[in-house]
Amino acid sequence: MAPVGPRSGDAIFSSIDRVNAELFTLTYGAIVRQLLTDLEDVDEVNKQLDQMGYNIGIRLIDEFLAKSGVSRCVDFKETAEMIAKVGFKMFLGVTASVSSWDADGTCCSIILEDNPLVDFVELPDTCQGLYYCNVLSGVIRGALEMVSMKTEVTWTRDALRGDDAYELQVKLLKQVAEEYPYKDDE
Amino acid sequence: MQFFGGSEISPSPPVPTASGNNAHMMYVFNRNGVCLLYKEWNRPLHTLNPQQDHKLMFGLLFSLKSLTAKMDPTNADKGNLGVPQLPGQGCSFHSFRTNTYKLSFMETPSGIKIILVTHPKTGDLRESLKYIYGLYVEYVVKNPIYSPGSPIKSELFNTALDQYVRSIS
Amino acid sequence: MIGVGKMKQYSNVLDKPLSKGKQEVSLSAFAFLFSELVQYNQTQVDNIAELERRLEDAGYAVGSRVLELLCNREKGNRRETRLLGILSFVHSTVWKVLFGKVADSLEKGTEHEDEYMISEKELLVNRFISIPKDMGTFNCGAFVAGIVKGVLDNAGFPAVVTAHFVPIEGQQRPRTTILIKFADEVSISTSLYMIYLYLEKLNLSPGLPTSIHAAQVLKREARLSQ
Repeated sequence: MAPVGPRSGDAIFSSIDRVNAELFTLTYGAIVRQLLTDLEDVDEVNKQLDQMGYNIGIRLIDEFLAKSGVSRCVDFKETAEMIAKVGFKMFLGVTASVSSWDADGTCCSIILEDNPLVDFVELPDTCQGLYYCNVLSGVIRGALEMVSMKTEVTWTRDALRGDDAYELQVKLLKQVAEEYPYKDDE
Repeated sequence: MQFFGGSEISPSPPVPTASGNNAHMMYVFNRNGVCLLYKEWNRPLHTLNPQQDHKLMFGLLFSLKSLTAKMDPTNADKGNLGVPQLPGQGCSFHSFRTNTYKLSFMETPSGIKIILVTHPKTGDLRESLKYIYGLYVEYVVKNPIYSPGSPIKSELFNTALDQYVRSIS
Repeated sequence: MIGVGKMKQYSNVLDKPLSKGKQEVSLSAFAFLFSELVQYNQTQVDNIAELERRLEDAGYAVGSRVLELLCNREKGNRRETRLLGILSFVHSTVWKVLFGKVADSLEKGTEHEDEYMISEKELLVNRFISIPKDMGTFNCGAFVAGIVKGVLDNAGFPAVVTAHFVPIEGQQRPRTTILIKFADEVSISTSLYMIYLYLEKLNLSPGLPTSIHAAQVLKREARLSQ
């Protein structure tokens, strides 16, 4: 079946309302700062950022579907391409690429070519264990769960921690069938 | 598809006048079967309590989807009846009509289901349901104080929706 | 493209050229992030006032960074020292950078000498909101009030800044007004600035660089003289 939906997010991005990336970047910075103050523990902050991303993902998927007109993806490969080429562009104005597929097509890497979350950011020594962009992995996990894919998303490279790129590994755990939600038929 | 066809054995209700409102009622369900929104414009007869009513509507769509996919003559890949499908899997129906009403249905890959029940003479509402999905995204999904899965209370959404549904002919 | 990013690598954030501020993200990306800021803070408080205070705190952090960025970029590091100058800087420059437009209006309060109002028909953070009755006067604009406070405080004009919905006749949606009430020291600082200079000349307060410090000294002086 031919894939339904756009091949790239450029046209969508240019047609929707946009804001200066600095407002976004600085607001994200303020959130991370608030979490560091509230939770005082870098691991807890990582967890909370992931959770916040997840919460965003389960909402954002509907915006993605409504604006992109994507009605289905035939397989996980197409889904990953859709995230990288359409999703990242549509929301963050940047593109990403997909690589490093495993043999059975259930695990791949998404590499960000640019990352608006990290402008003006340098991690102080006290935050060395922080995954500053952890919100992004949560977003992908949350959004995919809403379209019936349970995934595990982890950072494999993080430029803020000295790597040469931002790279996420996305692993499909299982596809969840829709079930009749009511237990009994009274 | 036209489920059960449109043969009119008994007379259908009169077509409402231009100024009238075609809609009877509307439901929005999420992927867990939670009724996020129920609205009615013209429903003289209530025979069930709201919970039963919502559950029955959800069940009707759930079974109908499964049945229509099972009967699909163009697709060999179908599971057993009653075996859960992935959202978006199989064919999908978008409306059926009885002699007294028409039910239009849309389901997104994220499992949001929008159901609009109108006068049987109403035309194709697929674009209208997409538009309503757009309203849901703008005014509900992006509302910073809405928590996903809870009933929709947004006044902004309700006003926009009411205005739009009243304009559907 | 196999596993090789095209990312430029900077060992230090200072080596990276400051962006020109032309990059954009989608409004919805911001809306979702902002929603999460609100939702998270809702779990940290038990009343609306506290929620607004926390949003204001978050905004404050944004405001102080914005001031730094803009001073660096647009004003050649020159800081605004006049009250009206800084207000118009907020109303036009800051607004334009953050919200893509100049604010709808900047007015002087009619009741109090040191009050100013910046109004916006549809403030970005209130664009998608619908306040339920049980949240009363809650206004997400507290975040923007915090931004304004962050800019003003760090420019040496301490102020109390709050956000309010103001109904407009014939309109369903109220507009948002950011009310700025300057701290006492600001209003007296201008008039006593000359004395400060004099004090400094007498070497009584060496090395106090900004008007805020001057104001603090002067407030003390003013009290002593009463």
